[in-house]
Amino acid sequence: MLRSTEINPRQPVGLQELAALAAVAHSSLGPDKRYKFIQDDTSGESALVCSCFRIFENLELSSAVAQLVHETVQAQQKVYNTGSGCLLFLAGAWSRAALECVHRGISVSRIISGMSDGFDICVDVLRKCSISTDGLGAVKPDSCTTTSHGLGLQVSKEPITEDSRASLHLRGTTSVGHKTLNPSGHRKIKLSRHFCQPDSKNVSTAPQPHQVFNIAHIAEGLSHGCVRAMNLVVEAVKLHQDVSCSTFDVTKVVTCVVPGLPEERACVLPGCIVLLSDEQASVAHHLKDQPLKVALINGDLSHTFRHLGFSRPAGVQHVIEQLALGSDEEEVWMVKVVALLLNLEVNLILVSGLASEKVIQHCCRRRVLVVDKVKASILKAFADATAGVPVTYATQLTKHCVGTGVKVEIRRDLGGGSERKSSTAVNISTGGNSGLFTVILTSCVRGKLQALEDQFWACAYRLHHALKDRAVLPGAGATEMLCVHHLRQRAVTAYSTQESTAGGAADLDRGVVLHLMADGLIDYISTVMVNTGRVSKVRARTVVSQQLQEHDGHVDIAAKLSQLVLEGENEDSDLKSNGMDVYDNVSVKQEAWRKALDLLFLVLQTDAEVITGVDQATGAQENLMML
Amino acid sequence: MSRLVKKSPSLCVDLPLDNTDVCNKLRLLRQLMTSCYGPTGKLKLVHNNIGGHVVTTSTSSVLLAAISSSQPLVNLIKTSVLNHVSRFSDCGLFAACLCLDLIEQAKQSGLRGNVCIGLNRHFLAVCVSYLQREDCCCKVKLDFCSSHNLIALARSVISSKPACLLTEQETLHISKLAVQAFLLTLPCDKPGTVSLGQTVTICVEGHSVLNSAVFPGLLVDVTGVLCVNKSDNLSSHRMLLFSASLAGDIPELGEGIIEVSSGVDTDARILDQLLDLGKQAVEDDVKLFVCQKVIHPVLQHYLRSRGVIVIERLGITLMEPLILLTGAHPVATLHTSLQPKAYGKVRDLSIRQFGSKTLLHLLPHGESAICTMILCHRNETMLSELKLVCQKTEHVLRLTLREPYALFGGGCTETHLAAYVRHKCTDGVTESAAVLGCSESEYLLGMDRFCSSLESVAKSLEHNGGNSLIDLTHAHNWTVHADVMNRCVEG
Repeated sequence: MLRSTEINPRQPVGLQELAALAAVAHSSLGPDKRYKFIQDDTSGESALVCSCFRIFENLELSSAVAQLVHETVQAQQKVYNTGSGCLLFLAGAWSRAALECVHRGISVSRIISGMSDGFDICVDVLRKCSISTDGLGAVKPDSCTTTSHGLGLQVSKEPITEDSRASLHLRGTTSVGHKTLNPSGHRKIKLSRHFCQPDSKNVSTAPQPHQVFNIAHIAEGLSHGCVRAMNLVVEAVKLHQDVSCSTFDVTKVVTCVVPGLPEERACVLPGCIVLLSDEQASVAHHLKDQPLKVALINGDLSHTFRHLGFSRPAGVQHVIEQLALGSDEEEVWMVKVVALLLNLEVNLILVSGLASEKVIQHCCRRRVLVVDKVKASILKAFADATAGVPVTYATQLTKHCVGTGVKVEIRRDLGGGSERKSSTAVNISTGGNSGLFTVILTSCVRGKLQALEDQFWACAYRLHHALKDRAVLPGAGATEMLCVHHLRQRAVTAYSTQESTAGGAADLDRGVVLHLMADGLIDYISTVMVNTGRVSKVRARTVVSQQLQEHDGHVDIAAKLSQLVLEGENEDSDLKSNGMDVYDNVSVKQEAWRKALDLLFLVLQTDAEVITGVDQATGAQENLMML
Repeated sequence: MSRLVKKSPSLCVDLPLDNTDVCNKLRLLRQLMTSCYGPTGKLKLVHNNIGGHVVTTSTSSVLLAAISSSQPLVNLIKTSVLNHVSRFSDCGLFAACLCLDLIEQAKQSGLRGNVCIGLNRHFLAVCVSYLQREDCCCKVKLDFCSSHNLIALARSVISSKPACLLTEQETLHISKLAVQAFLLTLPCDKPGTVSLGQTVTICVEGHSVLNSAVFPGLLVDVTGVLCVNKSDNLSSHRMLLFSASLAGDIPELGEGIIEVSSGVDTDARILDQLLDLGKQAVEDDVKLFVCQKVIHPVLQHYLRSRGVIVIERLGITLMEPLILLTGAHPVATLHTSLQPKAYGKVRDLSIRQFGSKTLLHLLPHGESAICTMILCHRNETMLSELKLVCQKTEHVLRLTLREPYALFGGGCTETHLAAYVRHKCTDGVTESAAVLGCSESEYLLGMDRFCSSLESVAKSLEHNGGNSLIDLTHAHNWTVHADVMNRCVEG
């Protein structure tokens, strides 16, 4: 095979490509996301997508930069399940900034060091304006209603000192942007817009001790427009709270998608709910309301299945010595397994892999319920709750491996009848508290189910990360505004040192880079505003720059902005009038920004693409240089 | 086998360097190599034409391994550079740049081939003998009493690959770790022949580089299979290591055919044999059961239920360090009973968590020069480059044991050598030319070409269109061993 090499003489081609790819993410930013259809012209198939990573999943990417973008987005999605839109947008916005730098003749190494400095400034801002979620466990989730906004922000074990520090901070911020270094390094309130609002003085002068965050409040702020999905998450957390309070274990959540039911029917139920065929449902019917013994199989349930790494020998011939034995291997295996199962009195088998149709039928006849495609984490949860031990082969089962105390329950209300095959929802639960729960997602529009599921997981992970970080950021563009302010301040300092001392061109360049980086963030804020459908791009930009000028570093901008962004937010009209608090995740945002910059740096430093496996003819067509 | 394509008649081409196509390809390769060279070098995105995984790199070993050409000459150069890298780990780009530049200069000069070869060989000898002299001005003796020199050396290697995207602080951290790992692999107070230990590298994606660390002993990835009980306070644990697969299949059948009568269940028979092995291991009080390949889940289940820590799929790369660490003899078959001398020993076991990875930390029972380096980086492509660079650094540091000198980096050595050759060889041109069998003008032309090749390699460190000034202050250390340069010219 021939390989070939292409050298781009003009470097910014990669940056332009990155910026163009990032444009895809524009509509998936902010609380008001737009659906997109992706259509395959050749097959006529189409997909309905709502998030940036689903878009990339459905596109055919051949260029190296696109592939790199896709890998980065996937990495973000894998760990955080959210934030890929922000990542991609900023990668694009900052690559435009880098392009501008290149056009102005700033060297690549200076762009990189300038942007790294800019990122450090931003990280500093993120650290300083993060709001602690400590004290969460002190209050029962129900004691604060979701509308008790504006009061619940104060969190501290020593409310009075913290208050004074915060109000000090308030005075400090009008002049200097960052004077609140906390020597202990512990995350506490560094910034809260409530101390800056006119009516907030009452709050700080008359402190309400132990007024704490409640989880619904945080969740509401993290919903980012997916109110319904977040309500499900909150319900799930409430169910979960009895088990452990300060964290939200996403591994014990299952989603079950039921098409054909209206979206209002979505709900959270304890236990693990699966959809079963009629035959299996009839077995479940027999088994309902009695304690069951469960076998857990880690792998497929079939006679041909072998564990990973087992290689079937090629050169083995079976010699039949006697004719007319009749029974085939599968039959023998099945008889053996069923006998073993009956002997161990197993009524339920949970299989992480697949179970063959024949096995399911065979077991059904013996009133053993087989459920396959169970997630590994769920299998583990069952193992923990029932004291069962997952095994690889059914033949391996012994008395010690069998778990006890499982119940099945038929949920007639959830059965999806609209499918070709009717299905029955069955809840499998352990007697004790396994912490497992199922989120039922429903929609009459089948194509929307995927997006609903994605939204649910995004919300779940946002809350999970907020509780894990024990901190959130002021959302709705407030954090970005602060970053813009600090970046610009630093840029101005760089300009002035360039003028006054012999700092020279390096400082000037640094100033330019920081300034352009800030512009990228402004672009982000204004795009989010435009996506709400209330303002035009021009107006959004004007508003942002007005806010920046008027308040110049005053944190009040945060409040005004969130008001602006949220004006057209969602269906619940009582929320918007009160100016709901919006939060972002600390780690997710920081990591998304860092990934965006890393991606940009790689592309910025690249001058050539080496394509392997190109044949001579196509190479000549596409103007490639062959080696 | 039938031939699918009719074999075409052989085609003979002479003087390949006169062919413009070949020359263009060589020039392209030179551009590709020189643009990668140095700490500010440009990166290349390597991928296939159907949109596979993208590798971002400026490392010669990755880049050259990816390209292949229809021109045998290009392939020849490529292979010799790759050979060089496999032996010295470092200076692949330097070798490629110098080689391609010398070819180009030689062609431009219009000198006859054999004269050119003779001259280049002569000037190279001048350089090499100068570098080996005690009073050579462009090398420094490494001082092993302080780590400062070593860290500076490591740092210059690590900072030469921009695709790692390291900040100053991160570069320093990794340099220190590289030196620490290097020092841990040096055995202490061992009489007789000293053999160096090994550094095992484990990559953890998605974490800050500053979380990277070096540990003495060996860390093994046990993510997902974790079930270590609180280990008993024994001073040492007995361990057993298998190199044979314990998957329960019929191994190494080769071309032959096995006939099995239908009543016999071979899988069950082999499993019985495996369980017998397991039973013996439990009886012999084995606490750690490791297999290079797959272990049958039933055997794993049996061993775990008896409190044995089971690690499967160790992989071939970890076998040697584990053998060195524990003194175990790997068992290559399951058809004999276990010999007592096969057992190895581990002093201590503990669990360490690195991001998503759970690692089992094994400490040696006796003296051992094995250490493990955990490398963290934010994404895969930067991490793989960082891993390469760290391995390269380790190799470079090891080479200093044989020859404790480092050359000035940043192009200084090359410009210095060029200046030296120019100065040294202008005296006695007539005699030298006579010895080499060429005219004086040819000699001077050849010298000029050789020196400008060296200088152009130094100049290619600058990629942003800036001026490169020749200045002999010692900025960084860059290792170029004498024999490295030798190979460059011949390649």
